[in-house]
Amino acid sequence: MEADSQSHLVEGICLPLLRDAQNADGGWGFRPGSGSRVEPTCWVLQALLNASQSDADAVTRGFGFVRQAQLTDGSWPSTQGETTGCWVTSLACWTLTAAMDSPQIVAAGLNWLCKDWPRDSTPWQRLLRRFSTQRDIFPINDSYRGWGWTPHTSSWVEPTSFALLALEQAPKDLLPAAATRRRQLAESMLRDRMCAGGGWNCGNPKVYGVPGEPLVIPTAWALLALRAHPEWPENEMSLDWLEQNISKIQGPGSLAITRICYETYGRTWPAGAPELRDLHAGNQFLQSIQVAAWACLASGPRPRWLSSGGANAV
Amino acid sequence: MPRIRPAATLAFLWGRERGLIMRNQTLIPSFQRPSSSVVIRRAASYEHDLASLIYESLEVFKLPVKGKTVLLKANLVGIDPLGVMNTHPAVIAAARESFLRLGAAHVLVGDGPAMDRDTEAIVESVRLREFTGPLGRDFVDLNVDDVERVPLKTHASRLKELYLPKTTLGVDFLVSMPKLKTHHWAGVTLSLKNMFGIVPGSCYGWPKNVLHWAGIDRAILDINAVARPDFAIVDGIVGMEGNGPIQGTPKASGVLIFGSDPVAVDATCCRIMGLVPERIHYLSRAGTLLGHLNLDKIQQLGEEISSVRTPFAVLKAFQEVAA
Repeated sequence: MEADSQSHLVEGICLPLLRDAQNADGGWGFRPGSGSRVEPTCWVLQALLNASQSDADAVTRGFGFVRQAQLTDGSWPSTQGETTGCWVTSLACWTLTAAMDSPQIVAAGLNWLCKDWPRDSTPWQRLLRRFSTQRDIFPINDSYRGWGWTPHTSSWVEPTSFALLALEQAPKDLLPAAATRRRQLAESMLRDRMCAGGGWNCGNPKVYGVPGEPLVIPTAWALLALRAHPEWPENEMSLDWLEQNISKIQGPGSLAITRICYETYGRTWPAGAPELRDLHAGNQFLQSIQVAAWACLASGPRPRWLSSGGANAV
Repeated sequence: MPRIRPAATLAFLWGRERGLIMRNQTLIPSFQRPSSSVVIRRAASYEHDLASLIYESLEVFKLPVKGKTVLLKANLVGIDPLGVMNTHPAVIAAARESFLRLGAAHVLVGDGPAMDRDTEAIVESVRLREFTGPLGRDFVDLNVDDVERVPLKTHASRLKELYLPKTTLGVDFLVSMPKLKTHHWAGVTLSLKNMFGIVPGSCYGWPKNVLHWAGIDRAILDINAVARPDFAIVDGIVGMEGNGPIQGTPKASGVLIFGSDPVAVDATCCRIMGLVPERIHYLSRAGTLLGHLNLDKIQQLGEEISSVRTPFAVLKAFQEVAA
């Protein structure tokens, strides 16, 4: 019964929405009728690649959109017209790795990624911080370094997780020399930024002495990025936090990513937990293409990019 | 590892200070007006007949909204089942009803939450649908709206341009609807700071960290200079003091504050909160660019400030802004 309703959600609602929403340029926007952007296009491609029915033409055109959106420095911008790359570079590399026909494009993206150091932890910023009267407001170990949402800003949990997943998925021969060091620093950064009782928020475990509240989506992405180390206490505590909070999830995006994460760690989805079909009934996912793609990934077979258990584990 | 670039670092530090030195600016022409009106109304709780109260308050301003599209830019910060950090849905619903009653053709509700990309979870946690009914496409997640490149006018920060949501830029009438709160980086978060929420997460992330690096105070000015709200309605029925905007303590003030000059509205809110607006950095500068800060330029209607004053606790870092 549950399988039928999940199947109806994917095959009857989400996949038709995704197929109908592809733009003439091959990409997808965040909502039907919106202009194509790299981020939703990558999520839709992941969902279509995972679907049982072949969408070869749509996928080919989607990959074409992602390839042509790359900037000359190897990065990808968040929106057309923007000339600076950002975190969607991780998603693009990760998605194009699945195409297996764009090694140079992926290599250029990974190279940009490994050169994109966050600004908050440069030697100069760390020195300034030592002498700052505000250094205790936001107590973190700034020798650890992940990735920011945009260049020359601070390390945050989600873009760091995406970058780790991109580096993990890439064929070893495409990885820049700095990749191993970047991954080690980033994993340490994630562990350092975990909230006191498990789970992650955007990356502020404590501000002004007050412990930060974890959030579902950053927790799930961090756990997926760190899944090669299920024995780490941070992973165990955060999985427990997630389990305790599944019943309170009200957003389908959070629920879909949680389900992917939870099943990746081999846990059984708790009886009585919210179901995507019920949340869809409330607001129809706010017509979000990205959430529909995540729902497909959560309801279908385990995504291929999670089956390796961390192909390039550090 | 990145190299230290002394010249760039000195230029950066100079740039940071330059904003403090830059003075003698006058109100941007389109914002010039002899004085601004601000209405303060009492509302003891969210069970009050807010639709009537808000409609009557809006009528005072004779707003040009007939046949127009209005966007209510709420303050939806995070998952908030207790209703203490976000603009209360009862206020949003009543404002929506009031603008429709005033003849608006279309009233949208939107925000782009800064810390959590699951906007639907936030909307559900505040039970918005229970108050407004199904909004469908009339709810806009500004984080993932189509965007347009906008050159900045004021250059208070180092930002030269921002990508902003087309919905925000395209509506006829933009209403900032913050909650009355203190803020641990900016001092207070009211109708001007609330406009951070129009900066799309899909371009700048969660949080919109590029604005922090540009300087929160200065970025507030730059954003409001290109997307200045036409009107502000501040939910002060229950606000937040201390470590706001998320982890502070609920503070009941029992007021709603209205006005078409967001600087004057925010200054009035500060005075109600027992804070000195001239000591809030961004408000002080906004008073030279975007609207009126001084009491003698603000026509106070409805309740007197003194009759509704409710001192808000602030963090130690902001003790100097307390009256």
